[in-house]
Amino acid sequence: MNVLISGGCKNGKSYYAQKLARDRARALNKPLYYIATMIPRDEEDRARIRRHLSERDGWGFETLEQPTDLTALLEDLNVDKEGVFLLDSVTAIMENEMFQRVETAGSLKGKSNIEIVYDETAKDRVKADMVAFAKGTGNTVFVSDGIYGDMGEYSESTEDYRKALAAADRALAEACDEVIEITYGLAEQWK
Amino acid sequence: MHLIFGGAYQGKLDCAKANHTYETICDCSDGREPDFDADIICGIEGFVMQCAKTGTEARKYFEEREELWKNKVFVITDTSQGVVPIDKDVRAFREMNGRLMLYLADKAETVTRVFCGIGKRLK
Repeated sequence: MNVLISGGCKNGKSYYAQKLARDRARALNKPLYYIATMIPRDEEDRARIRRHLSERDGWGFETLEQPTDLTALLEDLNVDKEGVFLLDSVTAIMENEMFQRVETAGSLKGKSNIEIVYDETAKDRVKADMVAFAKGTGNTVFVSDGIYGDMGEYSESTEDYRKALAAADRALAEACDEVIEITYGLAEQWK
Repeated sequence: MHLIFGGAYQGKLDCAKANHTYETICDCSDGREPDFDADIICGIEGFVMQCAKTGTEARKYFEEREELWKNKVFVITDTSQGVVPIDKDVRAFREMNGRLMLYLADKAETVTRVFCGIGKRLK
């Protein structure tokens, strides 16, 4: 059973998703995978990753690092496609693929610069990857973010990103068996 | 009137089309005044933005024309979440949009919220 979980920031989506995935893996007696999607950029990110790692400690997750190119996991012979996957988050993969960070040689003291390259083809690719992953596994919990209820006064590229993530969410909602919105730890079933 | 609301890009208009018979749609997202001859009136927040710029109270505008839209389907974007906007005009718009949605939800025969392309009836 594929499940899409969304909702606002710091509402308990990840924790809810972790429990759901773990219980599912136990019930099915299948391996439990955590798909890590964050590319750490600074100390704040690294601290977040450490916190997430310690929160998952002892839950039985095997971590798969896949910040881009999700469907590569379907080709990986070391990954049991019958297992239960937790993908946290769709939001991060979309960001990683739409706004790629490319290192360029800097002019000052040999330091490298990070340039952000906007890949316009990413939005459709990521959307298709998500649906293909749901179909190729059958037991994935997808975590996304509800970023659509505000004024939306963003730069053009950020607005493109919101649009792309919403399209991926909608395609996933269609492909998944369940759609759940989490508000402060409480689950509302949409499908 | 049937009110359909939700965040940006959630599939509100698709939800309206799928659940109501219609022939014509008036899209007000560019700021135009609603054409109440149309069956579905969407992007109402665009018209509200225009109202905020000209100092017209959107709720009052709809109140005065209630007879014209009793049988319509209204689609509006919820902009009530997130940080209070810094810009004074945008702030005025957001509040005006909220006041209008409160009024419309009260008057509506049905109210539906759309999330990830899925509609859920709240009223």
